[in-house]
Amino acid sequence: MKKLNRIFLLLVATSLFVSCSNDDNGNSDVPLGEYDNGFFVLNEGNSNPSTASVTFISNSGLIEQDVFGNVNPDAVSNGTLLQSVFFDDTRAFIISGGSNKVTVVNRYTFEFIATVATNFASPRYGAVINGKAYVTNYADFAIGTDDFLTVIDLSNYSTSKVALNNWSEKVIEENGKLYIANGFYGSGTSITVFNPANNTPSTPIELGFSPNSLEEEDGTLYVIGDGKLAKINLATNQVIGTAITFPEAQAGAKNLNIENDKIYYTAGTSVFVMDINASTAPTSSLFSYESTSEWGGMYGFAVNDNKIYIAEGGDFTSDSEVYVYSLTGSLLDAFTAGVGPNGFYFND
Amino acid sequence: MTFKKQFLLLILFVCQFALAQNDSIQYLEEVKVSDSQLKNFSNSQSVLKLSDSIINKNQASLTSLLNYNTVIYFKENGLGMVSSPSFRGTTAQQTAVIWNGININSQLNGQTDFNTIATRDFKNITVRAGGGSSIYGSSAIGGSIHFNNELRFVNEFTNDLRVNYGSFNTYGVNYKVNVSDEKFSFQASITRNASDNDYEFVDVAAKNLNGQYYNTSLNTTFGYKINTTNYLKFYSQFFDGERHFSVLFASEVKTKYQDFNTRNMLEWSSFFGKFTSKVKFASLTEQYKYFGNIDSESHTYGEVKTYIGKYDLAFDVSKAIKLNTVIDFTQNIGNGSDIKNERRNIGSASLLLKHKVTDTFLYEASVRKEITNNYKSPLLFSIGTNYAITSFYTLKLNGSKNFRVPTFNDLYWQPGGNENLNPESSYQAEVGNEFHFKNFNISLTGYVIAIDDMLRWVPMGGVWTPENTNKVKTYGGEALLRWNKTFGKNNFALNGTYAYTVSENGETKKQLIYVPYHKATSSLAYSYKKFSVDYQFLYNGEVFTRSDNNSKYNLDAYFVSNASIAYDFGKTNSYQLGFQVLNLFNENYASVESRFLPGRNFNMYLTLKF
Repeated sequence: MKKLNRIFLLLVATSLFVSCSNDDNGNSDVPLGEYDNGFFVLNEGNSNPSTASVTFISNSGLIEQDVFGNVNPDAVSNGTLLQSVFFDDTRAFIISGGSNKVTVVNRYTFEFIATVATNFASPRYGAVINGKAYVTNYADFAIGTDDFLTVIDLSNYSTSKVALNNWSEKVIEENGKLYIANGFYGSGTSITVFNPANNTPSTPIELGFSPNSLEEEDGTLYVIGDGKLAKINLATNQVIGTAITFPEAQAGAKNLNIENDKIYYTAGTSVFVMDINASTAPTSSLFSYESTSEWGGMYGFAVNDNKIYIAEGGDFTSDSEVYVYSLTGSLLDAFTAGVGPNGFYFND
Repeated sequence: MTFKKQFLLLILFVCQFALAQNDSIQYLEEVKVSDSQLKNFSNSQSVLKLSDSIINKNQASLTSLLNYNTVIYFKENGLGMVSSPSFRGTTAQQTAVIWNGININSQLNGQTDFNTIATRDFKNITVRAGGGSSIYGSSAIGGSIHFNNELRFVNEFTNDLRVNYGSFNTYGVNYKVNVSDEKFSFQASITRNASDNDYEFVDVAAKNLNGQYYNTSLNTTFGYKINTTNYLKFYSQFFDGERHFSVLFASEVKTKYQDFNTRNMLEWSSFFGKFTSKVKFASLTEQYKYFGNIDSESHTYGEVKTYIGKYDLAFDVSKAIKLNTVIDFTQNIGNGSDIKNERRNIGSASLLLKHKVTDTFLYEASVRKEITNNYKSPLLFSIGTNYAITSFYTLKLNGSKNFRVPTFNDLYWQPGGNENLNPESSYQAEVGNEFHFKNFNISLTGYVIAIDDMLRWVPMGGVWTPENTNKVKTYGGEALLRWNKTFGKNNFALNGTYAYTVSENGETKKQLIYVPYHKATSSLAYSYKKFSVDYQFLYNGEVFTRSDNNSKYNLDAYFVSNASIAYDFGKTNSYQLGFQVLNLFNENYASVESRFLPGRNFNMYLTLKF
């Protein structure tokens, strides 16, 4: 099972925020393609490629299923078990964990550009720095030491590998460096800083718990895992103080998102919020939603532009739903997406 | 008066004498197969026997044989890959596979992969529809498939050699020898099947990648007549196979899977008076190795050794009443890279009764109870009748309770195995109508099955673990048809099956995915002297691939047919040369979404009997 967090949407969200400011300055927002001004939902699917898809929902609420198939009816499918998507300025990169490949499309028109299918072994998440994409790979799920990065040269889509020697899952880019969460269901308890300039992983920053999601804000890296929240000063790469421990009922806390100086996270099917500087965790939730899924409740989560997005994983053999809530927890919208929706990616 | 008494005595004596005569013939009948319950206690259910001539005409895999000749529906992950049957809408773990009376479903995953049994090793294969747990134990819910080696104590020396070669470098060799006299009987059969299996898809410019396989099996059966009332028999089977699992995208990691199974059974049958006693000892081993990357030697594995001791005592209470008790002790010893090393012991006792009330009416009943500390074991039973209402119409009724026990993987997988599981259990009932005319037989069966405590693996955190969650309700109807006609030297034979199946999730009331409402098969054979032609087809109705039954994603119905032509060149012996066109109309089809099966392809075979 591939549990996800939406890191890249935060990158996008940040850039979005910037572009919104531009809008405020009077620039007209001319759509760059059919799929500008809205968000994608990534549908993980199951072992069958036809269950894996991307749904687009426009800011005006229009919904289109299987965007890739509609735009590129003759292209080979994206593969099975779509794990995550990451972007550069013009392209979207769709990672298939089951088929060991990345499909490159125009992020605004979704036109097929290339398939990258070398040097992958159960790829997970990716980020872009200076014309190169970096994708984490689990390789053997039972072994941490064989995990590695696939480096894709985005000018010609050639690839190479860099060993990471540690459980490697989520990755974010900040200030020209990669921050890789070394955590996999209790295995791996650190953060690796990767500097593309010297192409080698740093000595890991030890957390004492297994990270499941991370985000950077104002020079501090926030990390959640094993019912704890830690902060790392990125100037010194040192953990700040001791980690905040969540109440026992929130032991499975995950899906860290920071929006407007507030930390959002989820536990079970509840959403929690705390001030970014708070020293203790909240005991009561912001709101909960009803999930009928045996194991796909809160399968995807995002906070963006004052709205909260929740993906219900469903039963992984039928189309499931995504919900949009206000920051106070009232349901604004519900959409049917595809099989096993696991992430939101905002495209404005 | 005296005369009358004498007459009575005489009659009694004659009857005794006649019966005694009858007995020795009956002994040989009893000795012929080990699984006597299949014949004696299956009168109230639908039983279909596939003879060696049918086996010989079909492709080598059990999947193909049953797919084209029975109501059982198959999901195959590409030709020769993992193949799961669905019998009467049930799961692959709810069909029992019985080898000479012994249940050989895997102790690890609970099912038999139907591409790991070589059909040509057997004289006949019997499909028994409906519940049979009270006789055959776990998994006999949808039905059971029986493989029997037959032993005959007559003077015989025969050899059979069959070789076939066809598209995708697919070949098969099967050699059988049979040597017997009135004291000894010996049979051996060796089979090798292999294929590159790199077929091109029909409408897509792609081919089956990494689908190659090979397998070898060796079967021997040995019988020794100690005296007229005591017989020793030994059955043995080895299967060794390797399959690469085909990939959908060239960038996927290529994997392979090896099976190695052995089955050995020694049986001592003896007859005394109205009793038939059979003592059986069996030792089974199953072993798999899964290579997660074919470029690496590293693999996971699992193996189970099974020892079975069985005492089977049948008692003919009268000419009309037969009683049979079976006491069984089974020990399974499992170990593997992903399961806890465990030993489990299961004792069971069953009592079976058949009462032929009149020449046209009989009823049969059986009960079984297992004793084990591994799972809660329910009392299993079956009760049924067979009533020949007219010379051409027979009515059958049967009701039963059956189960499927948790497997080693369910109980002991590390991590995730759950040692507190109940068996899946079912109540089921069926009504069968059989019509017999001169050249024509038809049977119509309706059934209903309610299955509770279905086992399902769900993830808890990062760990998958099994639970008894679902309920399933299945009902449907089956029709089997057989017709033969001979005009001079022209022979016609027509066989057909049709199944209508509704199998619903108890909670959502939706049809289960990959269970077609409709399936039909037919074969038509024509022969003139030494020349024969055959045509067979398989129709599978569309299936849902989504649990919400969203028909947008349905897998299309398909109609696939095969044709063959053969000529026997032999004068005294049989030398038959045959040519087959498989998927005659080049249908683009898949039984599992995206897992396309081959388009039109060819095969030729030579059968020598000497």
